[in-house]
Amino acid sequence: MTTPEADLDSEFRQQVVDTMTTVLARLLDRPEPVTESMRLMEELGLSSTLGLELMLELEDQLLILIDVEEMDPECMTTVGDMATFVASHSRPG
Amino acid sequence: MTALEALSVYLPPVREPIRSAVGHLGLRDMDFRIFEKFGLNEVGRDHDASLYDLLMNAAAGLAELQGEEQRVRYVIHARAMPVVAPYPVNPLHEVCRALGLGHALAFTVAHQSCASGLLAIDLAGRLLAADAAIAADGEPAPLALILAGEKAFTREAQMYTATTVFGEGASACLVSASGTRDRMLAYAADVRGEFDSATGANDARLQYEYKYSLADVMRRAMGDAGLTLDDIRVVLPHNVNRKAWVATCKQLGLPLDRVVIDNIGVLGHVFCADMFINYQTARERGLLQPGDRYLAAAVGAGGGATFAAMVFEH
Repeated sequence: MTTPEADLDSEFRQQVVDTMTTVLARLLDRPEPVTESMRLMEELGLSSTLGLELMLELEDQLLILIDVEEMDPECMTTVGDMATFVASHSRPG
Repeated sequence: MTALEALSVYLPPVREPIRSAVGHLGLRDMDFRIFEKFGLNEVGRDHDASLYDLLMNAAAGLAELQGEEQRVRYVIHARAMPVVAPYPVNPLHEVCRALGLGHALAFTVAHQSCASGLLAIDLAGRLLAADAAIAADGEPAPLALILAGEKAFTREAQMYTATTVFGEGASACLVSASGTRDRMLAYAADVRGEFDSATGANDARLQYEYKYSLADVMRRAMGDAGLTLDDIRVVLPHNVNRKAWVATCKQLGLPLDRVVIDNIGVLGHVFCADMFINYQTARERGLLQPGDRYLAAAVGAGGGATFAAMVFEH
């Protein structure tokens, strides 16, 4: 049995990363760029509520539906981890 | 052993989409979408009914109360909100008078917010057991009436941003100290004073610890009852939102289909009445057979947080 991550579309994941870093910088009102390796809680101070808003913005911009119920903050330390989650737990909206 | 003797539930005939029910609160579209992502779609609203009406409508369905009024020693309103009516209006006392229960000791428990329903059951059982211990021979077993349900009339009684939307409804439950129906096997509660919503200082930590603390208290209640998850036929949740329960079920290894979860989408969080409403749903669906064990769980967040779980045998 394969995990959703094993079937990941790397091109789509990169698209998620690009959109996510842009949206995050705006949501956090952060002038410096957000990068894939940044830690969501420790470095960016992302609250769970803001994390949900990020998901909804991604849905709008990428025209996808994300399975938010499956989100587990513990499995998402960095921006890249969250992008992997989105790329593996979403479908065309 | 504390037992639920009879239960009646009242749900408003009208359900409103949450965008209509709390649309006047100035929320952003994003806030509604988060609620919808959490599985909250509709809530009950009974605009013509006061809190008195809601509670009376629930009590009116309690046929087992008729003729047994003198056995009722306690009437307990299990509440999530500290204030539910403007002073000096006292809906609980009005309900007692209307039901012929003016002789009963009536009081409210709100100390554990939305977990106060389970607290009320435990408290009723202990009070009744103490009374029974000193009762005269042949005296009918005393009862307590637990009422739950509130009006969503203040902002904080209508919704918590990114958490839940409250729905209207009510329940009325007769409890005895030594009944044979729906016997309480165990009760566990963890009161966490550090999670005080008044300051909001630990909100992020509460969100993080929620599923662990809820799963822990559920395990503790099962352990106290000498049971494991495999012994639990049905879980009756509090209706805060679906996402919290999906996370907690994963933490526990509990299949989601053993949780009576779909009332969340159509009723919202009916304050302390969730457990009673979900019990009724489980009965209506034939999910509980005699001898089945089930677990009710709730989290109350307000002036501190309480994680609570109660195990019963049907």
